[in-house]
Amino acid sequence: MSPRPQVDHIRRPQSLEAAAEVLGERGIGATRISDIAERAGTSVGAVLYWFASKDDLLAQALSFEDDRFYAELVELLAGEHSPSERLAVLIECSSAGGEWKLWMEFWTRALRDSDAGIARRQLDQRWRGQIERIVGDGQANGEFASGDSGEIAATLAALLDGLAVQMTLADPEMPSERMSKLARTVAEGLLGCTLPAAPVAVAA
Amino acid sequence: MAATDARARILEAACDLIAADGIDAVRIARVATRARASTSLVHHYFSTREELLEEALVHSYEQVGDERFGDDPESRTATGALAEAIDECLPLPGAQERGWVLWVELWLRAVRSPELRPVAVRLYGRYSEWMQSVIRAGVESGEFRSGVDTEAAARTTMALIDGFGVRCLIRDPNMDLERARSLVARELAAELGIEIESLVVRPMEV
Repeated sequence: MSPRPQVDHIRRPQSLEAAAEVLGERGIGATRISDIAERAGTSVGAVLYWFASKDDLLAQALSFEDDRFYAELVELLAGEHSPSERLAVLIECSSAGGEWKLWMEFWTRALRDSDAGIARRQLDQRWRGQIERIVGDGQANGEFASGDSGEIAATLAALLDGLAVQMTLADPEMPSERMSKLARTVAEGLLGCTLPAAPVAVAA
Repeated sequence: MAATDARARILEAACDLIAADGIDAVRIARVATRARASTSLVHHYFSTREELLEEALVHSYEQVGDERFGDDPESRTATGALAEAIDECLPLPGAQERGWVLWVELWLRAVRSPELRPVAVRLYGRYSEWMQSVIRAGVESGEFRSGVDTEAAARTTMALIDGFGVRCLIRDPNMDLERARSLVARELAAELGIEIESLVVRPMEV
C-alpha cells in the first residue's frame, strides 16, 4: 500500500464543505463519494481517508454546517446584545434557509441508524441549549417572564424545525418572512415580551 | 377491479418496505415479491422505481389523510375535537407511526424533487385546511376566544406537531408522546384562551 499523500490533512474542510453541498442537493442515497471528491477538487482516496462511511460523512458534514451556523450567530452577535436581540437574530438566521435539508436527511437516517441517532441527539442538544441559554439570560435580567426555560427551549426548537419543513418544501404559505413572524409571535407569548427587530442584517 | 387491487397491493408493499428499510433500500424486485406480483406487472403500473416510490408516499399520506380528515370527530365540542385532532397527528404506535415514517421520507424526497414538491405542498394545504376548520368551529361556538388568526394558529400547531413528532419518532430521550402532547396543548390553550386540561383529557392510546 502506498503511503497517504501528506497534503490530505488540509483537504478535510474542503471535503466537508463539498459533502454538505452535494448531500444537501442530492441526498445521501444519490450521492457518490466521487461526486464529493470532484466538487472538492480532490481524489476519492482523499475523501475516504477522512470518513469511514457515507453515514459518517453525513454526520460530519452536518456538524460542520452546524458549526458554521453557530459561528455566524456568534459573529452577528459580537458586541453587546440583549437576550431579546439575540433571540431575534437566532429566529432570523433559522428562517433564512441554510442547512435544513441536511437536518431532514439526518432525521430519516436516525430512524434506522443508531450512530446517526446519537450524532443527531448531540446536535439537537446544542440547538436547544443555545435557545435555553438565551431564555435563561433574559429571565435573569427581567426581559422575559419566568417559566421552565427547558420547556420553552424545547417548544421553540420544535417550532422552528417544524416551520422549516414547510419553508424548505417551498410552501407558498410559508415563505421565510412568515416563518420568522410566526416563530416570533410564539416566542413573545411564551416569554411575555415584545421582541425587537433583529439588530443586525442576516444574509439569506 | 382486479387491476386496481394489484396496483394498490404494490403501493402498500412499497410503503411497508419504505417504512421498514428506508427509501434508498427499496428495490422493485422486493416490492414485487411482497405484493405477490411479477416485476413486469410492477413496471406495467410504474414506469420507474422513482415513480413507484413517490406514488407510494403520496398513497400513504392520502390514506392517513382520509382517515384523519374524513371522520367526524367523536366529540361534540370543538375543544374535544381539537384534542382528538392533536392525538391523531402524533406518531402513536401502529398505523400512525408508520404513516409518520413515510411522511418524514416524503419531506426529504420532496425537498429535492421539483415534481414532488407541489404534491407535498398540496398535502400540507389539506392538513392546514382541516386544522383551521377544527379551530374555526371553536371560535364560532364561542369555546375559543374571538379574533384568533386561524391560519396562523393552524400552521403553528402543525409545525409544533412536526417538530415534536419527529423527535418522538426517532426515540429522542428528551421527548415522548405525552410530553409532546402537553407542550402542543399548552401553546394552543394559551392561543385559544382555554384551559390546557381540556386538551389532554383522554389517555394516550399507546
